[in-house]
Amino acid sequence: MSAKPNAVPAAGSLSWIRPRPGHWIRPLAFMAPALVGFAVFFAYPLGALLYYSFTRYDLLNTPVWVGLRNYAFLLTQDPLARKAAYNTVWLVVVITVLRLIFATGVAAVLARIRNGAGLFRTLIYLPALAPPVAATLVFTFLFNPGTGPVNTVLGWVGVKGPLWFSDPAWAKPALTLLTLWVSGELIIILLAGMLDVPAELYEAAGLDGAGSIRRFWHITLPSIAPVLFFGVINSIILGLQYFTQAVVAASVASGSADIAGSQRVIGYPDNSTLTFPVWLYQQGFHYYNMGYASAMSIALFVVSTVFTVFFVYRLRRGSHGEEAA
Amino acid sequence: MAAALTGVTPGPRSRRGVLRWIATHSIALAIGLMFVLPLVFVALTAFMSDRQALTSDLWPRSWHPENFAEVFHTAPLLRYFGNSLMYSLLATAGMLLSSVPAAYALARMRWRGRQAVFLIVIAAMMIPPQVLSVPLYVLWARLHLTGTLWPLIVPYFLVDAFSIFLLRQFFLTIPQSYLDAARVDGCGDLRALLRVLLPMTRPGIAAVSLFCFMYTWNDYFGPLLYAGENPDKWTLSLALASFRGAHQVQWNLTMAATVLVMLPVILLFVIAQKSFVRGITFTGVKG
Amino acid sequence: MRRIGVATACLALALAAGACGGVETGSSGTAQAPAANEKVSLSVWSKFSGRELGLLQKALDGFHGKHPNITVDNRGGQDDDKVAQAIRGGNPPDVAISFSTDNIGQFCSSGAWQDLKPYITRDKLDLNQIPAATRTYTEFKGTRCAMPLLADVYGLYYNKAMFAKAGITAPPKTMSELFEYAKKLTVFNPDGSIKVAGFVPTIGFYSNHVQMWAANWGVQWKGQDGKSALGTDPQWQAMLEWAKKFTDFYGKDKLAKFTAGLGQEYSPDQAFEKGQIAMAMDGEYRTAFITAEAPDLDYATAPFPVADNKPDLYGGGYTTGTIIGIPKGAKNAGAAWELVKYMSTDTGALQGLAQGLKNVPSTVPSLQDPTLQQDEHFKTFLDIFANPNLSTNPASSNGGAYLKTAEDFATSYQSGGVPDLKAGLAKTAAQIDADAQLGG
Repeated sequence: MSAKPNAVPAAGSLSWIRPRPGHWIRPLAFMAPALVGFAVFFAYPLGALLYYSFTRYDLLNTPVWVGLRNYAFLLTQDPLARKAAYNTVWLVVVITVLRLIFATGVAAVLARIRNGAGLFRTLIYLPALAPPVAATLVFTFLFNPGTGPVNTVLGWVGVKGPLWFSDPAWAKPALTLLTLWVSGELIIILLAGMLDVPAELYEAAGLDGAGSIRRFWHITLPSIAPVLFFGVINSIILGLQYFTQAVVAASVASGSADIAGSQRVIGYPDNSTLTFPVWLYQQGFHYYNMGYASAMSIALFVVSTVFTVFFVYRLRRGSHGEEAA
Repeated sequence: MAAALTGVTPGPRSRRGVLRWIATHSIALAIGLMFVLPLVFVALTAFMSDRQALTSDLWPRSWHPENFAEVFHTAPLLRYFGNSLMYSLLATAGMLLSSVPAAYALARMRWRGRQAVFLIVIAAMMIPPQVLSVPLYVLWARLHLTGTLWPLIVPYFLVDAFSIFLLRQFFLTIPQSYLDAARVDGCGDLRALLRVLLPMTRPGIAAVSLFCFMYTWNDYFGPLLYAGENPDKWTLSLALASFRGAHQVQWNLTMAATVLVMLPVILLFVIAQKSFVRGITFTGVKG
Repeated sequence: MRRIGVATACLALALAAGACGGVETGSSGTAQAPAANEKVSLSVWSKFSGRELGLLQKALDGFHGKHPNITVDNRGGQDDDKVAQAIRGGNPPDVAISFSTDNIGQFCSSGAWQDLKPYITRDKLDLNQIPAATRTYTEFKGTRCAMPLLADVYGLYYNKAMFAKAGITAPPKTMSELFEYAKKLTVFNPDGSIKVAGFVPTIGFYSNHVQMWAANWGVQWKGQDGKSALGTDPQWQAMLEWAKKFTDFYGKDKLAKFTAGLGQEYSPDQAFEKGQIAMAMDGEYRTAFITAEAPDLDYATAPFPVADNKPDLYGGGYTTGTIIGIPKGAKNAGAAWELVKYMSTDTGALQGLAQGLKNVPSTVPSLQDPTLQQDEHFKTFLDIFANPNLSTNPASSNGGAYLKTAEDFATSYQSGGVPDLKAGLAKTAAQIDADAQLGG
C-alpha cells in the first residue's frame, strides 16, 4: 500500500505551549524549505491538475481546452470508471469494517496474554513489515488455485477452494484477506490503547459484577474510541489509494509475461481488481489521456478531502476540549 | 508503556486461572500461527526444486539452497538493492534536513499563519499519492528527469508532510521549561533545537527516520511511475513485481526472491524493534 | 548531486516559464545523415530478449559494418509503455522497435513517432517493395511513422503424435472441426482435472486474442460509417458463443486451474512445446522456439480453421508485425533514419533476421528466400502471408484501447458474466465509439 504507516494520526492537540514571542524572520528561515516544497509539490500541481482536467493532453502536443468534456465522460460514458469506483468503494467499506473488527479482536486477545506477549507481538507485526509487492506475491502463491497451500489445506477438510485471484467473485475477498494479514500496525496501536486503559476502571466495574464481555463493551471500547477513530480514517485512506496489491495480484494471477502494470493484465480477472487509482494510472500513463486522468484525480481528491475535513474537524474539537480542561 | 510491552505480568494462581491461561494462550497461539504460517510456507517453497514447487507439497523433499544463488544469476539483484538503498537513504537524509526545522517552527515558535501551515501539512499528508501524479509527472518530464529516481528523492529535501507532522508531535512532548532554560542561557532557536530538543527526542527522530526509510524502501507506485521505463534504475519492489513475469512457473525462485527482498526489512526491524513499536504507538495514541 | 542543483534551478524556471528545456517540437523537415567521419552513437530499444536479442544484434552489426562511424547500443526488454514514457520524458532512444501494431494509430497521430515521409521522399525510397497489407498496418490516416521490420502471421500448430493416437489424419479446417478434434484430443486425470488440453479456448491465453481470432471468423471491426461493428456484425456473436461453448466443455474452473499451472508463453515451459496442449494458435516465430527448445516435438503447422459459414476464408489469417521508427526527440534522427532504412529494406539484413527469428520477411525481394521456403513448418506461414484473405485489425488514434474493451467483454462473456450477449456487444460497441472520442 502506498499509505505511509499511520498516515493519519489520532486526534491530537493543536494547543500551543506558549513560546517566546518571536520575529517572523526566524520561523520563515526554519520553514523555508518546507514552504518552497509545498508551493512546488502541492500548490502548483493542484492548480495544474485543475487546469489539465479541462483539457485534452498527451504530454506531446500542447493541451487543448475541452471544457467539461472529461468530467461529462467520467460521469456518464465510462463504465470502467464506474466499475473502478465500485471496486474502490467495496474495498474501502469491507476493509474498514473487517480490519477494525479483526484488529480489535486480535488486540483484545493479546491484551490478556501473560506469557510471551513480546513474541506474539513480533509474529503479528512481521507480515506488516514485508514490502507490499512481496506480501502480494506471498498471497498469490498461497492462494494459487492449482497447487497453493490454502486450497490444499481446504481440500484436507473436504472443502473445494475457490479460484481466488483468478475468479472475479473471489479476487477482492482475497485482497481483503491480504490486507488483514498485514494489519499488524493497527493491532499494535489498538493493543497499546487497551493496555493504557486505567486498571481502576475495570476494578470499579468488577465490583459491580460485570462479565468480561460487558466490561469489554462498556469500558475497553469507549476508552479506545479515539484510537478506533484513527483506525477508521486510516483504513479509509488506505482503501481509497488501493493500488500496489491490486496491480501485482492481477499481473501475477493472469500469468501474463508483461511487466506488472501493463495494460493487458490490469484489473484481472474481469476488471474485478480494477480500483479507481489503477484506472487513473492506466488512463494517464498508458493511454496518455492525461486530461481525463486529471479529471479522475480531481474526483479522488474531492472524496479524500471530505475525510480530511472530517478528520481535522475532530482534531480541532479535541484540542478545544483540552484547552477547556 | 515499556513495562506493558514487555508483558511482565504475574502468572496464573487459581485452577480457574490456569484454565483461562490455557484458553487465552491457545487462541493467541492460533492467531500467531495464522500470521506466521504463510511466511513459513514461502520459506519452505523457496528451498524446493522447481518440479516440487509446482506440486501441492508443503515440505521440501530435498533442500535446494542454491535457489537463492540462482536468483542472483537471473536478475541483477545487487543493482536493484543499490537503487533501493540510494532512494531510501537519500530520502531519509533529505527528510531529516528539511523536516526537523519545519517541525520545530510548528511546535515551538509562535508566528502568524502557523495554524494555516499546520492545516496544509495535514492536507498534504492525507492526499492519495495518485492524485497529483499527472501534474508532477509533467513537471519532471519537462526537466528530463523521468527515468531516474530523482523525482522521488528531491521532494524529501524540501518537504515531507508526514514526517513534519510526526516530528512536531514528538517535539510537543518536551516540556517548555527545558527550552526556556536553554534560552536563558543565551541559546537561540537553532541552538535550542540542536542542543536541547534533538538529544531529548532522539528516539522519536529514530522512529520517524525508520518510517521514512521503510516507506521509501517498500514504495512501488513512485518507482513504477518514474523509473519503470528504465530497468537500470529499478528498485527491489519493482524488480520483484516483474520477476514472476520472467520466471512464470518457477515458484521456488520467485519465493526465494521474495524472501531475499523481505530479509533486509526484517533485519532492520529486529535491530530497531523498540523504535518501531514506540513510533507506531505514538502515532496512534498520543496526541 | 549536480543534477539536483540543475533540477532545482530548472524547477524555478519551469514554474516561471512553464517549461524548462521542454520536449522539442517535432520538425517537419529531415535531419542529415552524419558525415562518414563523424562519430555517432545510436540507442535502439526493443522488447527482444535472450536469443532473439542476440539475433537483432547480428543485424545491427551488419549495419555497423556498412556505417563504421555509427555505433549502436542495443537494449532489449523495452516494451511500448517504456518507450512511450521515455519519449514524454525527453530521453527517448534514437530508434524504437515495437512488437505489435496495436499502438500505431497513437504513435502516428500524436507525433510520438516521427513522420518518415520527408525522409522517404528525400531518399526516393520505393515503398512498393513492401506488400500491401504490411504497408497498411505501418501507417495511420496517411501518416507513415513506422517501417515494417518483418511480419508475423498466425496459424495452427498441432501435435502430430497426439493426432495419430486419436486417429485424426488432417488438421481441422472449420471452427466446428477444431472443437470436435479438441474433445477427442483432451486427456483428463483420474481426479477429473485436465492433463492434456486439445485446445485452450481461453481468450487472453497465449496468442488467443480477439483480433487474432477475428481474422479467421471474418468479423468486421468497423462498419461503413466508421463506427464499431461489434453490435451489428453477427459474426461477433457466433465467435463468442463458440468460445463460451468450448469453455463450458472443459468447465471454467478446471480450465483456469489448468492454465494457472502452464509455463510462460516465451519460456521453454510453453505448454505446446511441453506437450500439454495438442493444438494452438500461434505465430510463425514459434517454429524457431520449438527448434531451439523442443527439437523432438512431433508437430505440424496449417492455416488456422475458419468460421463454418465462411469456408472461403481458409488459407488466410491474421497478420501484424514488428515495426521500427524514430521517436520524437531522438538525438540523432539523421543517423537513425539510416538504420531504419537499412533494417526495413536491406534484403540481406531482413533475410538474416527472418531466418534467425523465423519471421516472415517484409519486402517482396526478401520474401524470395530459399532457406525459408524449404522449411515445411515455415512454408505454411509464407503461404498464409501470400493469401488474399490475410487481414489485420484497424489502427485507432487511442491505440489499443478498443482491443482491451473488446477483449474485456469477450472474457467476461466467456466466464459466464454476461447474460445477454447481443445487448452486451451493442453496449461494447457504443463504448468503443465513446472512447475513441476521448482519445481523438
